[in-house]
Amino acid sequence: MIKLIEKIEGEAKLNFNFKEGKIDFVDIEFMSTRNIENILKGKNAFDALVINPRVCGICGHAHLIATVQALESCYENLELSNKAKSIRELTLNFELIQNHFKWFYLTLFPLFGKKQEILKATYPSQLMAKAIAVFGGQYPHTSYAIVGGVVCEITHMDIIKLQHYISQTSKFVEDNLVKTDSKTFLTCKDADALLDYEGDLPDILREIKKMNLLGHGKSYDRFISFGQNSYFKKGKSLKTKVSHNISLEHVKESDIASSFAKNVSFKDEYYEVGPLARAMINKNQLIADAHKKYGDSIFSRILARVCEISKLLEHSKKLIDNLDLNEPSYIEPSMDISKLNSIGYSAVEAARGTLIHKVEIEEGIIKNYEIITPTQWNLSGGTKEKQGVSQKAMVGLDDVKTAELVFKSFDVCSVCTTH
Amino acid sequence: MKNNSLFNKLSSRLDELSNLPKLDDKVSISKLIEEKGFSRREFMGWAGAMASMLMLPANFTPLVAKAAELADRLPLVWLHMAECTGCSESLLRSSTPSIDSLIFDYISLEYHETIMAAAGWQAEHNLEHAMEKYKGRYILMVEGGIPHGQSDYFLTIGAHGKTGEQSAKEASENAAAIFAIGSCSSFGGVQAAYPNPTNATALSNVTDKPVINVPGCPPSESNIVGTLLHFILYGTLPALDVFNRPKWAYGLRIHDACERRGRFDAGEFVEQFGDEGAKDGYCLYKVGCKGPYTFNNCSKQKFNQGTSWPVQAGHGCMGCSEPDFWDKMGIVHEPLGDRLYHTAFGGLGSDATADKIGVGILTVTAVGIAAHAAISLIKKPKE
Ligand code: SF4
Repeated sequence: MIKLIEKIEGEAKLNFNFKEGKIDFVDIEFMSTRNIENILKGKNAFDALVINPRVCGICGHAHLIATVQALESCYENLELSNKAKSIRELTLNFELIQNHFKWFYLTLFPLFGKKQEILKATYPSQLMAKAIAVFGGQYPHTSYAIVGGVVCEITHMDIIKLQHYISQTSKFVEDNLVKTDSKTFLTCKDADALLDYEGDLPDILREIKKMNLLGHGKSYDRFISFGQNSYFKKGKSLKTKVSHNISLEHVKESDIASSFAKNVSFKDEYYEVGPLARAMINKNQLIADAHKKYGDSIFSRILARVCEISKLLEHSKKLIDNLDLNEPSYIEPSMDISKLNSIGYSAVEAARGTLIHKVEIEEGIIKNYEIITPTQWNLSGGTKEKQGVSQKAMVGLDDVKTAELVFKSFDVCSVCTTH
Repeated sequence: MKNNSLFNKLSSRLDELSNLPKLDDKVSISKLIEEKGFSRREFMGWAGAMASMLMLPANFTPLVAKAAELADRLPLVWLHMAECTGCSESLLRSSTPSIDSLIFDYISLEYHETIMAAAGWQAEHNLEHAMEKYKGRYILMVEGGIPHGQSDYFLTIGAHGKTGEQSAKEASENAAAIFAIGSCSSFGGVQAAYPNPTNATALSNVTDKPVINVPGCPPSESNIVGTLLHFILYGTLPALDVFNRPKWAYGLRIHDACERRGRFDAGEFVEQFGDEGAKDGYCLYKVGCKGPYTFNNCSKQKFNQGTSWPVQAGHGCMGCSEPDFWDKMGIVHEPLGDRLYHTAFGGLGSDATADKIGVGILTVTAVGIAAHAAISLIKKPKE
């Protein structure tokens, strides 16, 4: 018996094909588009700094950082102070952190029959948004990063504020997410041990176990991550074999007839991106242990995303301690943009995975602009013979509800997918 | 005296509202706020701040508090069109203590879905049901530009494959009040920038009902919440400017209340990002601030619970609450001044001087500024 169930998830449409009571194939379609890439053509290159954050109100900051880096890579010998680099990294970390909180309490909770925890989602995300605003003036949609650095001139007072926001957020984690001191959680290497803790994350993990879903949602066990900074490493991981020698050249985008979104592959294969991919490539011990025990399943995927909150908080503290406020915020590029004819690329790690921007400039005017978003990687809609990452993760499940959980464990963002 | 009659008018409006049925008999907003750990004092403090933002005298504070408590008499429908969801994100980050988000969460029929939509989800039948049940009573807030006419297929929503244009039209039919939240639904927004590939347009262009625009990209949380409270209090449309923006929020230029205004008047300008002037908080006009041409209250309300705003952070205002700012206010790091307006469209657009555009949209200030800042408009030559 072949059964078809259609489900709408935001702007994505999923068609579930059942065969003998199990999901046989899931067709993913996107039904809207805004065509931002076309709007960028013909605009002054720096205007992209204002337009691109608007690709997505959820991960817009990653788009700003990707834009500024893509533009900077068009220059030869562009100088950037360490201060500016660290500040950009910090604001991006804050965006990732607040995103994970919202995903956990707003998207994931109802999937386990719990009520959405709106205040638990908004309290820490507000703290992180304020931390971004200290540098950027507002969140979402700041444009504070510019070619050559950042515009903000922060003071010691600002640093005190930031430290306060970070410690309040860490405290929230300790009081709610995993009820133990952060250090214990950060040094925990045993995924099963987490099941004995108190807190919202262990609750969810126990629930997964209770529902017998531990091994569900496995896909190709193939991960990739291109964004590189002082914390994330660039590389790919096949099962547990990690190599760092990968090039953007092999990333290809292709059209799908039935959808407004485009497929993305690396050397013609689909790869998973996002926190689980980053943790595998970074060889995070806790996640590696989860992966060893439960593979690239929803258990590992959910754990990796939440765990990243604490890791990034800790790393952000270090970045702040090492900030040298005497360094310049901005170093003027040696060449005026209007004289520039060049092509530039960038890759940054957004909340949901690798985000790639590519720009072509002719005398300071944008000739061509291409954006590849993280969700495009995970949601690439392959054919039945060659399925995308999330498609494959849903095959063989016997109900739509579990499939929905698996699908959402990728933290899908249809807004920027259909840019 | 004038205040007295207004006070009485608003009071009787609130009395009327309190006779309407609540969305849910078991809970009330005041109880919810208390449950979430806010004291009456905190709540009144919040109401006081709201009153002043709505340009009401301090003795109106109890009325604003009452209006907030009565918000559950007016259900809210929130629609997403072609957008980035940045506006609902902005709202999600509204003040801590998070009284605004509590109120929104509570009264909104679709808001629950909205925050899920922030992660990409939406349910269609809830919406249809709500619109039927609360016909003529609900407040409609729409976020996002609307691809229309022959391009409407660029946005199809929901299980029935309805276009965004259809949904927006239908929802507007029976709404008690309609608010376009953000520059996208107010004016078309980023997707409507040249060449507007999806033919996106403003909400006011797809419905013939009156639409109040609350532009900004995103608008501050306080402007969104203030708009709602204003409607609850008055029951009528607020005083509007030529672009249908509430005057209480968009009555003044950014420039008028800018903290760097003294620097502007003294002729102290940041000549280049990172210079000594930038460190000392000089005026950002020459590095592209469009504050003199932009009507909004950012310089007073700021963002993220008053943490900061772009000019405070050292980035000029980009004019995000003005129509078509993408095309009219560029280049981002350069002043409009009186130089020829660089069209982004390589001659396809109209080459007008910024002054003309400035005067067109705004006031004579544009001319004043040009004269004032022209002295050093020529930036130091680069190689
Ligand atoms: S030009 Fe901009 S920075 Fe300068 S005073 Fe006006 S609004 Fe403020």
